[in-house]
Amino acid sequence: MSFKIVVKRLLFFVLVVWAASTIVFFIPRLSSRNAIRERFGELARTGGFSPGDIEKMIASMQQQFGLDKPIFEQYWQYLGNIMRLDFGYSLSKYPTTATEVIAQALPWTIGLLLVTTVLSFVMGTLLGAVAAWPKAPGWLRSLATPFILLTGVPPVIMGILLLFFIGFRLKWLPLGGAYSAGIVPTWSWSFFLDLMQHQILPALALILGSVGGWVLSMRGMGITIQGEDYVNFAEHKGLTGGRIFRDYYLRNALLPQVTGLALALGTVITSAVIVEGIFGLPGIGTALNLAIRANDFPVIYGIVIFITIAIAALMTILEFVYPLLDPRIREN
Amino acid sequence: MVKFKLATALAVLALAFTPVATFAQDAAPVAATEIVPTSALADVPRNETVILGWGVSGGSSIGTTNPWVLPGYTHQEGNNLLWEPLMYFGIYKNEFIPWLADSMDYTDDTFTALEIKLNKDAKWSDGSPVTSKDVVYTFEGQIKYETLPYHVQFAELVKSVTAKDDLTIEVTFNQPAPRFKFEVLTEKFDTGIPIVPAGYLSAQADPTKAPGRDEIPHSGPFDIVAWNNTQKIFNLREDWWAIKAGRMTAPAVKRVVVVNILNQPMDTVAQRIVNNEFDSSVDMRAQIIGNILQQNPEVQSWTGTESPYGYLDWWPNSLWMNDQLAPYSDPNVRKAISLAINRDQINEVLYEGAKIATIYPFPLYPNLQAFADSPEVKAEEAKYEPGKYDLDESAKLMEAAGWAKNGDGLWEKDGKTFDATIQAFENIHGDIAPILAEMLRQAGFDSNVNFGTDAYQNMVDGKAGLYMFGHGASLFDPFEALNLFDGKYSSGIGSSAGNNRFSRYSNPEYDKLIDAIAPLDSKDPKFIAGAAQALGIYWRDTIDVPVIQWLHRIPYNNHYWKNWPSSTNVGMGTNGAFWAHTGMLVITGLQPSGAK
Amino acid sequence: MANITMVSPSPTISQPSNVVLFFRYLRRNKGLALGVIILVALFLFTVIGLLVVNPKHAYPLSAGLKQPPSLKYPFGTDFFGRDLLAAMVVGMWQTAFIGLLAGGIGTLVGVVLGFTSAYFGGWIDAAVRTVCQILTPIPVLLIQVVVAGSLDKRDVTIFTMALIVAMLAWMGPTLVIRAQVMTMKERQFVAVAKLSGVSDMGIIFREILPNLLPFIAAAFVGQVFSAVFASFYLAVLGLGPLREPLLGNIIWAAQSQGAFFNGWWWWPLEPAFAMILILGALALVNMGLDELANPRVRRSE
Repeated sequence: MSFKIVVKRLLFFVLVVWAASTIVFFIPRLSSRNAIRERFGELARTGGFSPGDIEKMIASMQQQFGLDKPIFEQYWQYLGNIMRLDFGYSLSKYPTTATEVIAQALPWTIGLLLVTTVLSFVMGTLLGAVAAWPKAPGWLRSLATPFILLTGVPPVIMGILLLFFIGFRLKWLPLGGAYSAGIVPTWSWSFFLDLMQHQILPALALILGSVGGWVLSMRGMGITIQGEDYVNFAEHKGLTGGRIFRDYYLRNALLPQVTGLALALGTVITSAVIVEGIFGLPGIGTALNLAIRANDFPVIYGIVIFITIAIAALMTILEFVYPLLDPRIREN
Repeated sequence: MVKFKLATALAVLALAFTPVATFAQDAAPVAATEIVPTSALADVPRNETVILGWGVSGGSSIGTTNPWVLPGYTHQEGNNLLWEPLMYFGIYKNEFIPWLADSMDYTDDTFTALEIKLNKDAKWSDGSPVTSKDVVYTFEGQIKYETLPYHVQFAELVKSVTAKDDLTIEVTFNQPAPRFKFEVLTEKFDTGIPIVPAGYLSAQADPTKAPGRDEIPHSGPFDIVAWNNTQKIFNLREDWWAIKAGRMTAPAVKRVVVVNILNQPMDTVAQRIVNNEFDSSVDMRAQIIGNILQQNPEVQSWTGTESPYGYLDWWPNSLWMNDQLAPYSDPNVRKAISLAINRDQINEVLYEGAKIATIYPFPLYPNLQAFADSPEVKAEEAKYEPGKYDLDESAKLMEAAGWAKNGDGLWEKDGKTFDATIQAFENIHGDIAPILAEMLRQAGFDSNVNFGTDAYQNMVDGKAGLYMFGHGASLFDPFEALNLFDGKYSSGIGSSAGNNRFSRYSNPEYDKLIDAIAPLDSKDPKFIAGAAQALGIYWRDTIDVPVIQWLHRIPYNNHYWKNWPSSTNVGMGTNGAFWAHTGMLVITGLQPSGAK
Repeated sequence: MANITMVSPSPTISQPSNVVLFFRYLRRNKGLALGVIILVALFLFTVIGLLVVNPKHAYPLSAGLKQPPSLKYPFGTDFFGRDLLAAMVVGMWQTAFIGLLAGGIGTLVGVVLGFTSAYFGGWIDAAVRTVCQILTPIPVLLIQVVVAGSLDKRDVTIFTMALIVAMLAWMGPTLVIRAQVMTMKERQFVAVAKLSGVSDMGIIFREILPNLLPFIAAAFVGQVFSAVFASFYLAVLGLGPLREPLLGNIIWAAQSQGAFFNGWWWWPLEPAFAMILILGALALVNMGLDELANPRVRRSE
């Protein structure tokens, strides 16, 4: 890998983060809304301040957040802060910083989403490959069907249904929260069990609905590939079914599938916003949802840019992995 | 990829990082961080623990216990168990409850001097006594720091604060300040100030930024032992000064767990109360609390198991209008909107027939109910029929104002429909606002609801015409509510409206009435006559359209704990919300039911 | 309604102008058949519904309150006094409208850009790809939320919802189509066509496009799916046209009024199942299209 390519990739990465930061910075400023005023409005609404105080407090906060400066200066400073992963103070949780809000929420989301995404990707890709593979036994191929049918159920609705039937009606699993009230997290078996009990429903909500998507795309890919001459050739060469499946078929079909994985992360985060909310998990999704409701723009910036950086980094890595998966591109 | 010259690429990369160098980081306040117990917490049995479904970081930042840290609204999420005021006020007993102070009295008839005497047993959690030094520090901080909630009142009114001895403080005022004791120094609902420790805070670089965490000395009965974004755990401090001072008997509640339910569906919260997981929670809509009581007979509300389940808040809601903005500037148009509101239907649809809809801009607490029932007010009511629902009459007024119905059945003038977008708040108006919008739409107003976070801002700016909001004004007599519409508070469009001054109504005839009754005692017949006349103008000009009384419907689970406040058990007279300043009195007053 | 347009190109691919063959084929491809049947049923439900039901009853205060399903109200009524039958009819139509419009725009832009980019390569490819790749990692929902949030409430309609959703939905299809064309370009049949002097357009329309149809169809279904999804999320965050009986809005309203807990199960379950039917049927059709459009797979059966 030449130095030039590495610089190009890095430049691309910077461009992605810059584009996201710029969009996120300017769009809210196109409207005449004032997040700080709205925040205090929210507090004043419930009667916390007496008339007259608010304007002064707002002015003081404006200064604190640098909103009294010219917009270009704000933008410049903002870009500088992003380079340091410093998104400023949360508006609704001052003086906690947006970075701390993200850090507090991140473990929950990584735990839930990474596991569910990887699980559904692996299950879906394998089931999809099998479903499109004419030599697979019938019962194995039909395994994919229920998952394809479940694609019609968005994680949000799946979450609501699971919560209603399993949580409310059957009372098998807890209704919400990350762990039981009053328990303090420790490295113990009993805490781990309690934790797991609370994760089952949200994880199911995310997995059940998303396996089908991978099945579908993999199946489409598989169907296209299995007519290819090199697969036919391999068959005629007398290679075993399993070997063809793995080396010729799965590997070639996997390429677009992997592209999909990086793209899917954005969608998965979207689902998480609401699924985490339904089950009251204190992850990024919940933090984001609360920030949107409170118009807590440093946290919104922070989360959007943080997610963007994560996805961009993943895609940059994939750019390096791509040639390894498809020899034809490597030659170019 | 675009073929950048390598040098260009490197230059761009370098440029991208220049902002880092140009701005050094400002001096940052100490970070507020999660509170993690250093050793395993002792087990406290469920029947000695109170579990509350509420928020833990919605209005405060995790780790921030210092009440001086912005946004200054941190008492609601359990910090009210740490901090205490000079006095509380029991609204349902209509009396002051002396707390850190034994007494707090104006020393002259003109309300320009106030003497505070502290309780000799009052102590901080570190064992040092609460002295006049702490009170002086608390008051002077309000004057010094603009970000504190009572800065304006202190800066404008207070002339001097002096410690006469260890337990006595004298406050003098620039002008008569008869409401200062109640409004500022006494904690009730969500207003009033707590006393803070001078020793700890004055040692901080910036006392308005030090988070406090679990190290700041406090006078309240609990210590915070754990706080993350899932929950907040408080342990009882057995050496709480108030027990020795005789303010309270030793609390039975050994631990309080505040569970974060922000962002959880109401269904789940309701079910967790029914399952005895929670002992109490955030207030509920009428339908849900009705079903909770039905599914678990141990759960009670303020009014027992009877509708309307809640206690009356001081916040009756109106459809406010910007009376300076066309077309709302025309009183006939405002009246036409009022005539489109069917209050019976509101009661039926939203409150199962309970009489919640109102025609008054003040809560019907006993004294205000008497005022509303007076013959003077009844006469005005008969004259202007403020609660009338009549679509034909509404249509006649609109036609007279030059509006005509278009093909969709909506009022139109100069090619534009009538913009009747209601600015409202989803979490509290999620049920009523869509109903109101639909009523207006059926009367031909192009109505919609804006639940955006900009709703409050739109009200303050006066850009929009129609708002759903409360009147936090009158508690005892109607003066404060009527005073909201005085012309001197009505700033022009483009300037910000003060809190609850969204009507921007201006009428010299009305102002003269208000000026005349201002100095009068509320029992004075002239006061009642004048106030009734002002209320008549409020109805005649439809300054706003009163819609509903505001109720807090809080479920109280008696499975583990009894002695929850209710209409028949007012206790110390507090309002029953565990998140209000007075919530500490509710929690410490609980008695075990004997379960488990 | 527009649902049909999705299915109608299929006959022209399998056997031009021979509808009988298509139906015979449906008998073999059960998934596609089921998908088509569900879509047709939903289509009929909506069309007949629009003719029979008074659309005004889909709005609050037009029917009894909180009535369980009965003869008078086959689907029951909700807390706000909507007749849920009418609400489902209107909501189905609105959801389909948003999905098809936003999905159509996204797919169309994606196919055109993807083809142009991959086939012509050079600076066009570089530009399209760079812009797409730069925009792709940005979480679209948030941008949509920010845009929807800064609109005046009166401007948030079913139509603007579709546009907001479509605005940032074209990069996905562009990249997928582009990647496929890239692989396709390397295939023998394209190389052969090129050598035998077939024009660019000829290669695109005669050689590559037919082979890509499964992917275009899949992309379209995916786009409709995510458009319905995105509009649902906006609705949940209170940023949609609140008054409209969009399926997402109904579920959200039911959730926020605690419908399950209060025992009004029919209120959220009906739109949930409608949503499941719409998206499930689309998924089945998508799958069926793969088989239908790839002759080699059919041969092997």
